[in-house]
Amino acid sequence: MWVEKYRPRRTSEMVGNEEARIAVSIWLEKWKPRSKPMLIVGPPGTGKTTLVTLLAGESGLNMVALNASDVRTKEKLGRRIGEATKTVSLFGGRTLIFLDEVDGLLGRSDYGGVEFIKDAVKETMNPIIMAANDPDADEIKKLGAACTTVRFRAPPPREVELYLRMIAREEDFEVSDEELRRCVKTAGGDLRQAINSLQSRGGDGARSYKDVSLGIAQGLNAFFEAPDAVSAVDALRQTALQPIEKVREIQKSVLKAELPPETLARALETLSRADMLMGKIMRTQQWRLLRYLDGMLAQELLPLLRGSNVRYIGTGDLPFPVLLRIWNDSKKVKELSRRYAAAGHTGAGSARTQDLPYIFSLCSDAEFREKLETTLDLDETFDKFLQKEAGR
Amino acid sequence: MKILVGGWFTLPRLGTDAFSAMMKQGVVYDKKLGFKLDSATDMELAVRTISSALGEEVELTVRCFICGDEACPGCPYIEVCDRRKVSPLCLCEKHAPEKGAYALYQKTFEDSAGASARRTAR
Repeated sequence: MWVEKYRPRRTSEMVGNEEARIAVSIWLEKWKPRSKPMLIVGPPGTGKTTLVTLLAGESGLNMVALNASDVRTKEKLGRRIGEATKTVSLFGGRTLIFLDEVDGLLGRSDYGGVEFIKDAVKETMNPIIMAANDPDADEIKKLGAACTTVRFRAPPPREVELYLRMIAREEDFEVSDEELRRCVKTAGGDLRQAINSLQSRGGDGARSYKDVSLGIAQGLNAFFEAPDAVSAVDALRQTALQPIEKVREIQKSVLKAELPPETLARALETLSRADMLMGKIMRTQQWRLLRYLDGMLAQELLPLLRGSNVRYIGTGDLPFPVLLRIWNDSKKVKELSRRYAAAGHTGAGSARTQDLPYIFSLCSDAEFREKLETTLDLDETFDKFLQKEAGR
Repeated sequence: MKILVGGWFTLPRLGTDAFSAMMKQGVVYDKKLGFKLDSATDMELAVRTISSALGEEVELTVRCFICGDEACPGCPYIEVCDRRKVSPLCLCEKHAPEKGAYALYQKTFEDSAGASARRTAR
């Protein structure tokens, strides 16, 4: 894969975010114990992780990297990086501590991860760099106030083209200006996708993930009507949508179609697994796993939809009654977790993720339901909701 | 109004609220030179603030990383490039990708990084 072959090996080989790259590099060079930590914010795929990895190598530092979406509790964070924050090597060598995707850690006060970071930052003997995706999240803004913050953005299209031209030259591959610009435009600022798109035109026979030639409606309807899994995968790969959007649009189409309840449940379960796979890809940045996404949709979802009336209808949102049901349910779940957390001396987040599923299944028992409603002081609208959830 | 990212520009008096919003959004202010949008600025919000305070459209334009000239004129991506969302340095017509500027781009980066490090050391 050209994406791997032409992965930058030095910070000067990257494109885009020039000032930001220089700022992070100078910060690392000038770092002293008790300096402010560095917070890099920017959308996924803009080179935050790549920059930190390359900087560690160029500065001769060891690196301890941790994806904060995976390790959230104070204890686990302490086990993984606690020592690294407090120690230097026998000869004074330092370790760069990199906490990626700290968005996942914030807003989870019940896990204690944020407190751990605040303490670690005060005591650290080693430089800490954090990366986050959403600069506008309140928690990130608060964290940013205690850090040296640098923003990362997508590289401008002309710099993406510059990189593609370098690859084409190295590969001795002749490509027209028009075709090259098409690769850049369809990638929407994502260098990785632009390289894949270029490779697909490189004649090595492999169709890239983003070899776009079908519109959204055309591509998704070709997927729903595909006679076999191979044609379905082909249709998906040619659809002009980001992978995560494909899952969302397919889900919307499935919800809009009138499927028998059991088929609908199985289809949504498959889509949920696809969504989890996407989540894993985003968290771990293992983009090679994308190849399994289309396969999963074609081999597991499509057989369920055969003979049904599922079609891509448009980019409109879900029908209003469905949206209304979703909003109402989510309001109820939120309120229930808040009351349960207060009564059970636990966090609302852990009540929602860990306890409520069990509570819901116990609610099939009318006596238990009644006791719960009395304890948590729930009105009669909750009774209907609890019955519905128990019946699932 | 056209604003060159990284360059100083002046604005008429916009009022305290607009000024304080711009400061929060990372707009740089110097009494003598005026205002500046740079890589630390939240471009989307800053453009929205300036545009609503002035009551006119604000168009961003970026500089060439290699020579510092304005980069947008003649760019084939002008229609699809959202300058509020991309990193604020680009390449001008003179250093366009088709002219094989990658080596020069890398060299400029190394020189700028070295120069910035020396400046900070002083």
